[in-house]
Amino acid sequence: MNPLHLLKLEWMKYAPSGTFRVFAALYVGLFSLVVFLARSAGQNMTFTSNGEITHPLNGLFIYPHDWELLACIGSWMNAFVLGSLGVFMITLEFSNRTLRQSVIFGLTRLEVAVAKLVWAIALALAATGIYMILAWGGEVMDGSGLGLPPAGCVLGFFLQALGYLLLGVLAGLVIRQTALAFLAYLAYVLFLETVLRWIFYFSVAKTRLLLFLPDQVLGALTPMPVPESVSSMVNSSPFTRPLSLMEAAVGACLYLVLFALLFSRRIVKADL
Amino acid sequence: MPVLTVKNLAKSYGRLVALEGLDLTVEAGQVFGLLGPNGSGKTTLLGMLLDVLHPSAGTFTWFEGAEASQVRRRIGAFLETPNFYPYLDADQNLSLVAAIKRVSNPPLDSLLELVQLKDRRRSPFRTYSLGMKQRLALAACLVGDPEVLILDEPTNGLDPQGMVEVRHIIQKIAAQGKTIILASHILDEVEKICSHVAIIKKGKLLAVGAIGSILSDQPTVEVGAADFEKLHQFLSSSSLVKKITRDDNRFVLELEPGRSPGDLNTLAFANGIVLDHLVMKRQSLEAEFLEITRK
Repeated sequence: MNPLHLLKLEWMKYAPSGTFRVFAALYVGLFSLVVFLARSAGQNMTFTSNGEITHPLNGLFIYPHDWELLACIGSWMNAFVLGSLGVFMITLEFSNRTLRQSVIFGLTRLEVAVAKLVWAIALALAATGIYMILAWGGEVMDGSGLGLPPAGCVLGFFLQALGYLLLGVLAGLVIRQTALAFLAYLAYVLFLETVLRWIFYFSVAKTRLLLFLPDQVLGALTPMPVPESVSSMVNSSPFTRPLSLMEAAVGACLYLVLFALLFSRRIVKADL
Repeated sequence: MPVLTVKNLAKSYGRLVALEGLDLTVEAGQVFGLLGPNGSGKTTLLGMLLDVLHPSAGTFTWFEGAEASQVRRRIGAFLETPNFYPYLDADQNLSLVAAIKRVSNPPLDSLLELVQLKDRRRSPFRTYSLGMKQRLALAACLVGDPEVLILDEPTNGLDPQGMVEVRHIIQKIAAQGKTIILASHILDEVEKICSHVAIIKKGKLLAVGAIGSILSDQPTVEVGAADFEKLHQFLSSSSLVKKITRDDNRFVLELEPGRSPGDLNTLAFANGIVLDHLVMKRQSLEAEFLEITRK
């Protein structure tokens, strides 16, 4: 089993797809647009206090906070665009019965599963590359020079991108029908997990473990850079104190392994 | 040399038994037909042989137990409908199949020529008619020059012209000495293409063997004479005839083993009956199939 060969197969399948290209364009286009709007609006935003004009958000666009802000903006792209791409990646195969055809043509089931995982890793790397280009691009435009990417931001972004992709792939694998799988995935990341978490929180147990649900963990990998005062307000309750980057990274890694195992097991064991 | 050996292969979905302990062997060079009505378990059997379904019991061996990863690349197959990426054209889909099979420089030109798709090679798969899709599936099966072809209902849904075209292609491939396993519910198709046949009904193997051995050795004879009553009396009392069926102004006869239409003609003439109609017919696979599946 050669992962690069499997990656080539996935590229041959998806690169000519119009839907894939739309997703790719949406990711790059929306990400760039939101970053551009955030920079123009944020840097021009002024606040007058005692006759003194200040730029309260300017700090967000200065290294290293610019990387945190971009990662936070990118997290929306990861959750919606990349996750949906994950759904599409698998439902495309089921709706055209090409997953089973790949096995008929000669791939082993394990190769089929590994091919998808390798492709997801490649897409997550590409997304991280786009994030880095946008961050560096902003720094170049500001004339502040290229800063060394903060490792936590870059690693967190990559894990998050991969996590949402695999969450989408799992939704597609379980539901198989494109429209239903999209709806289920989007409902989960938009509100379902949050609603379930609060129901559990108020009616069963007030535990911080609820912050370790998949969407919470993945979201915590790219925290919003907020002023100290706001963050201490949020951290006042031990149950709602956000996950640290380390906690989120460990949780995300565990979820990634779990998603990959569930996916591979399903492909290997199920009738296709 | 056996290409495929199946031992006691079974598949159940809960209480529903799709295939019941099936045994068969396919030898190299055979064109082996799997014949059975819709829902008899043919596709289930092929699905297990191609690893898209897991057997509930039993085993099968390809190429006398060759290494699993190599086995699949020696087989070209499609199950039920042709499955390709709808936005890819014929070239792109076949290149993908070649990459899966690790075939470098696949002869796409000659494959597309064989299945008469050369002029539509740049059109997306979704724009193809069903016949063109079936033909592309055949071309995909041939990528890598596999030793065995597995074709599941290759003429399904085709118009008569398309059926003839696909059959011709299959016969051309068979003439190259390739082993072909062909599932079909169309008796005529199996009879025209296959050298061997297995008859399956409700997941059970009812008969297996060369087409010649499945078809009765004794020919059916259709006879007629001007004096119909005299002919009837003669046939009823004749020791040559095993079974008589009247068909309008003819009699359809099954002769006793070892007796020929010539014997019958000679004896009739000796008894003063001049036959004005004598046609020898082999029993069709359809008749055998109906007889076997009725049992």
